[in-house]
Amino acid sequence: MTEYLEESLRPPHAVPARKLRGTSRRRRRKGAWKKLLWVKQSCMDPDNYTDTETFLDHLQRNPRVRPYDFWPLVADSTVIVQHVCSVAIFVCCFVGIVQGRVSPVSIVCWGSVGTAMGWILWDSVPPLPPHDAPMISRLSSRNRQRLSTVKSAFLIYCALLGLSPILKSLTKSTASDSIWAMSCWLLITNIFSFDYGSGEGAGATKFPASLSTNAAVMASTVLASRLPSTTHVFSLMLFSIEVFGLFPIFRRQLRHISWTGHVFLTLALVIAAGGAVGITLRGGLTAAVVGSMLGSILTALAMGGCSWWLISLQKYKNVVTGPWDPARPIIRRHWD
Amino acid sequence: MRPLSLGAGTCSRAVTKGRTFPRSMVSDFFFPQPGGIESHIYQLSTKLIDRGHKVIIITHAYKGRTGVRYLTNGLKVYHVPFLVIYRESTMPTVFSFFPIFRNIVIREQIQIVHGHASLSSFCHEAILHARTMGLRTVFTDHSLFGFADAGSILTNKLLKFTLSDVDHVICVSHTCKENTVLRASLDPLMVSVIPNAVVAENFRPLEQGEPPRPIGPNDIITIVVISRLFYNKGTDLLIATIPRILSSHPNVRFIIAGSGPKAIDLEQMLERNVLQDKVEMLGPVRHEEVRDVMVRGHIYLHPSLTEAFGTVLVEAASCGLYVVCTRVGGIPEVLPQHMTTFAKPEEDDLVMATSKAIAALRSNKVRTDRFHDQVKMMYSWTDVAQRTERVYKGIQGDISPEEFYGYYPGQGWEASGDRVRSFALIDRLKRYYGCGVWAGKLFCLCVVIDVLIYVLLEMWFPRANIDIARSWPKKLKQKETADSTRDSPHRIGSTT
Repeated sequence: MTEYLEESLRPPHAVPARKLRGTSRRRRRKGAWKKLLWVKQSCMDPDNYTDTETFLDHLQRNPRVRPYDFWPLVADSTVIVQHVCSVAIFVCCFVGIVQGRVSPVSIVCWGSVGTAMGWILWDSVPPLPPHDAPMISRLSSRNRQRLSTVKSAFLIYCALLGLSPILKSLTKSTASDSIWAMSCWLLITNIFSFDYGSGEGAGATKFPASLSTNAAVMASTVLASRLPSTTHVFSLMLFSIEVFGLFPIFRRQLRHISWTGHVFLTLALVIAAGGAVGITLRGGLTAAVVGSMLGSILTALAMGGCSWWLISLQKYKNVVTGPWDPARPIIRRHWD
Repeated sequence: MRPLSLGAGTCSRAVTKGRTFPRSMVSDFFFPQPGGIESHIYQLSTKLIDRGHKVIIITHAYKGRTGVRYLTNGLKVYHVPFLVIYRESTMPTVFSFFPIFRNIVIREQIQIVHGHASLSSFCHEAILHARTMGLRTVFTDHSLFGFADAGSILTNKLLKFTLSDVDHVICVSHTCKENTVLRASLDPLMVSVIPNAVVAENFRPLEQGEPPRPIGPNDIITIVVISRLFYNKGTDLLIATIPRILSSHPNVRFIIAGSGPKAIDLEQMLERNVLQDKVEMLGPVRHEEVRDVMVRGHIYLHPSLTEAFGTVLVEAASCGLYVVCTRVGGIPEVLPQHMTTFAKPEEDDLVMATSKAIAALRSNKVRTDRFHDQVKMMYSWTDVAQRTERVYKGIQGDISPEEFYGYYPGQGWEASGDRVRSFALIDRLKRYYGCGVWAGKLFCLCVVIDVLIYVLLEMWFPRANIDIARSWPKKLKQKETADSTRDSPHRIGSTT
């Protein structure tokens, strides 16, 4: 029996919602044994009697498993690719600034132009949940929202301007090695704790997203403190806020409204990131082109490979549920 | 982790011959801490002593309670000083308990070690050491565990370690048995189901004998809830249902006893809905006072989300309360249909079930006055002790393996031959090795070290130098009455 159970708990394939039942090779006498504690079982049935009909009859294996398909999985992985690419672009920009190849002001100008364009695009699409409010009030609320956006943008701009001299000397007493290691870990934290969800449903939690944004901002802060002038620091910080704070919001919105746009953005990001890495490593236009091509091919392979790997791992999935699991209470929040 | 009580019980034949073999119960959880497992150990031990066995209990030291204590009936309790880490559970140290454990076992001439509760590290250690010393072991599981979260996985691995070499396992309900069999990959025939019981004398309804006054359509019906206010006790469900029940039934009152982290939410709900005059919050009550609270009500509401047995349901029914409970865990097995209304663990269904119960009481269809006597016939500690005794006899070899494990031809689980667990080290290592790729090797290492420690202890503190404790003098009369009631396996005897 031990072997029987162990074998049954390690299935060769993921079987959705299959009931495990004892093979009913035998007919038991009727009404002799009941799965009850208060009833006195007949003297023939000792306490360790195991009834083949009812034993483990409520056990369910993999009750809520839905098998993955290859192409939807690849499509979903574009979100991760986008984020990894934007982190790569940010790092390449920093390296360019440190090595003096790129002017920080040009980077932040391009970034700001992109942000402004993104905001205009984001603003032109009406907010997702269409309220039943009349047209006039909606327009005015949108105007108010625009005003508040401009206000907060101005506030961030001024705060960064004021903070830049302080940030410049923040880690003067720390060795550069520590800074590289630390920012590496922080960016990895950012990538792993980033909220890749669509921002809908019950799974949309706020905590991991804030952790990831904070890690990214901290990484760019310590990186910025390695830069020589206040302008450099200000530019990098502003750029990091654009990349890590605002760009994800735009990407999520774009995925909502246009799938084609999302795919094109992914493609553009992959090419840009590949090119940026190529230039950073070798320099020159050829390196950029080679980097773009290599990056695109590698990304496509990784997306396909990881999706296939995840699907092939599904056969090891073995979720056992039964009456012993704590029930999930269903409560209607009627007073909220 | 409750106090391991090592219970060494004499078999009946030995008693009549005038020899006594002691048993010991081991768990982290024992008096003075209140709780279900604690009282289970105490009641079972007392009844086993009544049946002529010698029982001692080994637990860790509580505040102000160290050393050896005697309880009623000559029940001896060893409070071993140990580091307590979390909610009265001791630090899992694997080997450090062995020297004092060996000393106690030799001193008290223990033959069977009976460990309680799967969260008790004391119990797991005692079972490992007892097997090393060549004693028979029994384990009682009191709780249900899932398979998904990290804590459960760790506990299950630990349980597998202990139970891969245990002689027999006792579970408190059939659901609990299924759970334990799955968690520890056990042979189901090595697992017995012996439920908890109640001391029915302590849970008597208010007026006995005289016919009950029928409940009129406008009489107040009181609903009692006694539970710790935790998430897994379903306090959220309770919070959601109370306002709805009270708004649709004006002549209903609630009495809620118990404390816990969810008490604040409950009080907030009362304030938001201005229900203070209809819901009485008593705070924590002692186990002795539970009956006095219960008899003030007509319905007992139990919205728990998981429960292995649910002793409190039996106590409520014994007090003559109609029971409304959620259909989770082992609860559906506990009480017959006419004493309970079951609900799904959903707010709407619980409200509906409670309304149904109120309607049933108002129409005087439910004979709650008969509940006490019926419950008394269903659950008694004497019965539990008798059935536990059969397990002891089975693993001691007093009952033949065919009779003990049963012989069911063609049912799928014939005797695999490994049920009578041999003490040979190589056999033990084989059993532990099968626990997992890495865990198996680690477990084998632990067992080998344990055996080496045992050899070392035998040389360092020789057996001959350990005094034998004198057992508590017993009245012969009790033994004889116990002997005379012994033979029918399911008789409910009266307590002495």
